[in-house]
Amino acid sequence: MKLFSKERPEIPIVHHTKEDGSAWTIKEKLWLGLSVAEYKKQFFRNPVNWFMLMIFAIGIPLILGRYAFGLGWVTHASNDYPWGLFLGFGLFGMVPLSASGFMLGTTVELFGRKDFHSIERLALLNGLLGYFFAVLFLEVDLGMPWRLPYPMFVSLGPAAVLFLVAWHVATYLSVQIAEVLPAFFEWIGWLKGKRIIRKYVLGLTVAGIILSTLHQGALGALFTYAPAKVHPLWVSSNFQWIHFFVSSIFGGLSMVIIASTLIKNYMGWRCDDDFKNNLDYVTIGMAKGASLAMITYLVVKLVAVAHDQEWTYLLTGWGSYYMLELGVAVVLPMFMFAFGVRNNWVTLIRFGAFIAAIGIIWNRLNTALVCFNWQMYQEIPHWKEVWITVTIYALYFLTYRFIVYRLPIVYEWKGER
Amino acid sequence: MLRRKTIMRTALALTTGAILFAPGQLLSMEAEDAPETVTIDSLASLYEPVEFNHLMHVDYASCAECHHHTTGVKVADPNCIRCHANTPEGDDVTCVGCHEADRFGKKYLAELDNPVLYHIDKPGLKGAYHLNCIGCHQIIDGPTGCTDCHAMTEAGEKRFNTGEYAPKGGAVSESHH
Amino acid sequence: MKKLNRRSFIKGGLATTAAAMVVKEKTSAASGDFDNYPEGMGVIVDLTRCVGCRSCEAACNKEQDLPEPAVPFDDFSVFDHMHHGEKRRTDETAYTVVNRYDTPEIDHPLFRKIQCNHCNEPACLTSCFVNAYTKTPEGAVIYNAKVCVGCRTCMVACPFYIPTFKYSSAFTPRIMKCIFCYDTRLKNGQPPACVEACPQEALTFGRRKDVLKIGKQRIRETPGKYVDHIYGEHEVGGTAWMYLSSVPFDKVGFDTHVPKEPIINSVKEFLAMVPMVLTIWPGLFVGFHLLATRKDKVKEMEKEAELKKAKENDEKEEQV
Ligand code: SF4
Ligand code: SF4
Ligand code: SF4
Repeated sequence: MKLFSKERPEIPIVHHTKEDGSAWTIKEKLWLGLSVAEYKKQFFRNPVNWFMLMIFAIGIPLILGRYAFGLGWVTHASNDYPWGLFLGFGLFGMVPLSASGFMLGTTVELFGRKDFHSIERLALLNGLLGYFFAVLFLEVDLGMPWRLPYPMFVSLGPAAVLFLVAWHVATYLSVQIAEVLPAFFEWIGWLKGKRIIRKYVLGLTVAGIILSTLHQGALGALFTYAPAKVHPLWVSSNFQWIHFFVSSIFGGLSMVIIASTLIKNYMGWRCDDDFKNNLDYVTIGMAKGASLAMITYLVVKLVAVAHDQEWTYLLTGWGSYYMLELGVAVVLPMFMFAFGVRNNWVTLIRFGAFIAAIGIIWNRLNTALVCFNWQMYQEIPHWKEVWITVTIYALYFLTYRFIVYRLPIVYEWKGER
Repeated sequence: MLRRKTIMRTALALTTGAILFAPGQLLSMEAEDAPETVTIDSLASLYEPVEFNHLMHVDYASCAECHHHTTGVKVADPNCIRCHANTPEGDDVTCVGCHEADRFGKKYLAELDNPVLYHIDKPGLKGAYHLNCIGCHQIIDGPTGCTDCHAMTEAGEKRFNTGEYAPKGGAVSESHH
Repeated sequence: MKKLNRRSFIKGGLATTAAAMVVKEKTSAASGDFDNYPEGMGVIVDLTRCVGCRSCEAACNKEQDLPEPAVPFDDFSVFDHMHHGEKRRTDETAYTVVNRYDTPEIDHPLFRKIQCNHCNEPACLTSCFVNAYTKTPEGAVIYNAKVCVGCRTCMVACPFYIPTFKYSSAFTPRIMKCIFCYDTRLKNGQPPACVEACPQEALTFGRRKDVLKIGKQRIRETPGKYVDHIYGEHEVGGTAWMYLSSVPFDKVGFDTHVPKEPIINSVKEFLAMVPMVLTIWPGLFVGFHLLATRKDKVKEMEKEAELKKAKENDEKEEQV
């Protein structure tokens, strides 16, 4: 793309009309204004795409196999570990990393911090895609995926935490679609739609906060159903939901920092000056927010240990592992953020964000898999399960890139808005 | 097949009949009064009836150890003595006389409503046999395996997926790996 | 009373969260009122009686129409079968299994039968978001495969590792678990198949309150024979199936660390805050919004005010 955008001033597309005054068709917009041959050329020149194709070559048949032969064909079919990677990573890991939508939505729309405007759409998209793919992971994991709407419409169990998760993720997904739609409307040039949504932004944002607080917390609360199975250091009936909620704040922010870094470095052609020039500033701002959330998180973690009288556990092997997790996944990136903010060292912040995001996933995998059944053997996921997880994540990556390539996410639409 | 059915039909009558004694004796019974063998078959369906050598068992245990207070022989169990220290020989000393074949039937469950009922935990017939036999056999190293006392019938083999009905191939290992 | 209040409170709270939809409250019979089944049946399992004959396993297999076992039910080598260092457990082919435990305390092995304990306040039931589980007045915890979506939360929630998933099936997977022989027997007042099959009467069936009495009588009248505890009397809020043992329960595979309260109690901290967030958040954040954007508004209004000086005072009153 870099090459084309140098040669042809009208690419990348930022306007409804071409140089010569004629309009871009949707089809042309989809092909990024390139001819099919050109598109192919740029696609296969990119080694990342080859790598993706490799993953899909094995992953897609595995996914088909999962639907044809059952979950037992791709997992260890464990009755002791009912939840494996699909949920441990796909649901419990993806959802906190997608808290970005409501975080920046709140910052910009509610707190009126227009200075974060340039990153808002990316954050919203990051949120939407994260949730969408979390649901996709769920669809791989559910025994009867075709019954996904059952908890909503067929047989309701309103006293269960998962009921709340289901409802909230579903409504929140619609809220996020609505929030990202304006970018889409600009791109296809249907301004009326955009204006309609504009009217409801405040409502959507407030709904976003409520739904996010509750379902981020609810994902944590799910583990309080297993107080005797999860190691006491990783589960706390009083504080679990706060742990999950607060960690999703810095998880979501870190993920946006990562996404914006990748986009800036590998998709520079797509960003406009506003995005590029503001990025360091907003990154520092987000790091500030994230480090505050991290302090809060550490304090609540400490309170939980004190409240549940778990000091002695800290002296065991599990205790060391717990300290290691907190140290590497939270304290280290927290200091990196703080140092980076103080010294305007954005690269350090970006590395910190990377560690923090991995740290969130580590924490969720610990809760769902490693420290689950801590008095039992350790389940190691089947290779097929790992491969499918990677495949869906690759799909997430591609979709993400596909949209950022096209919609006005990291650039401003120059045509009518 | 036919044989088994007949057995089942006449089952209850046989057991009761086989060890029925003349009532009304004032003194405790003597071991010699007992029959030499008893055919225990009232419950036989998965297993063949048991030819119980009563004479032989008399050498191992006192009457009360199996028949509790019913034979007039003094019981050893302190719980029983509380009430049955001087209980004379009963009208019926058979197992089935007290221990019901239909252990958890509605009738029995209803009895539990009686607030002064002491024997709330009286084993059923099958439980009484096995608890008594196996309990003692474990102590004195008698046979304790199921088929040590009664051979399995065809119905039993079906139930237990064994013998003729054993899983074919055997390669079907555990369902989870 | 306290319990009822708590449950209806929880339900009320969560139902509101489904704000967008009118949630029919017809679910109450399924998800609440467990204490109202005093006539519920139960079983007391006496480990000192069990001889590990596996008759119960065989009976269950036939009664519940489960798949042919891998090895015959009179094959006792299964007691040595270890899986990831664990003894056998229930799976999609077996609702109940018996395991052998060799303990230093006594010179002969003990056997322990595992099956669903049919909890008074079942974790499987309270964690299920499609109400697939029902606690029947007879005491059984039964399962409805027609509404189950296969999320397996019940398996995570069950403190006894009982529900299992039919992973082998692509099109008709379901939870597989002991149902107290509800459909075929319990409903009609009959004891379950395993109880009936047990030669040793290691399984004593009756109303829960009655078998509890029986268990206590056994402990009282045979001093030294049992540890003075009935597992399941209070564990996770009480279970319909309870256990007597001659050695401490943790020596024979029981989890003695399960909470004494129903599992749902450890979730209630979260459930309690749900209505709070729902009611407080909207006002709170709209308030934040108004505060945060006040400056912008003031600026806008001042501009307007310059144009319409006459209306200035009214405008300012409004924004306060
Ligand atoms: S049938 Fe009774 S004695 Fe035999 S293994 Fe089962 S519980 Fe134990
Ligand atoms: S033992 Fe487990 S499956 Fe059975 S009722 Fe209790 S929680 Fe549910
Ligand atoms: S109660 Fe019925 S379903 Fe449960 S273990 Fe016994 S025989 Fe099987």
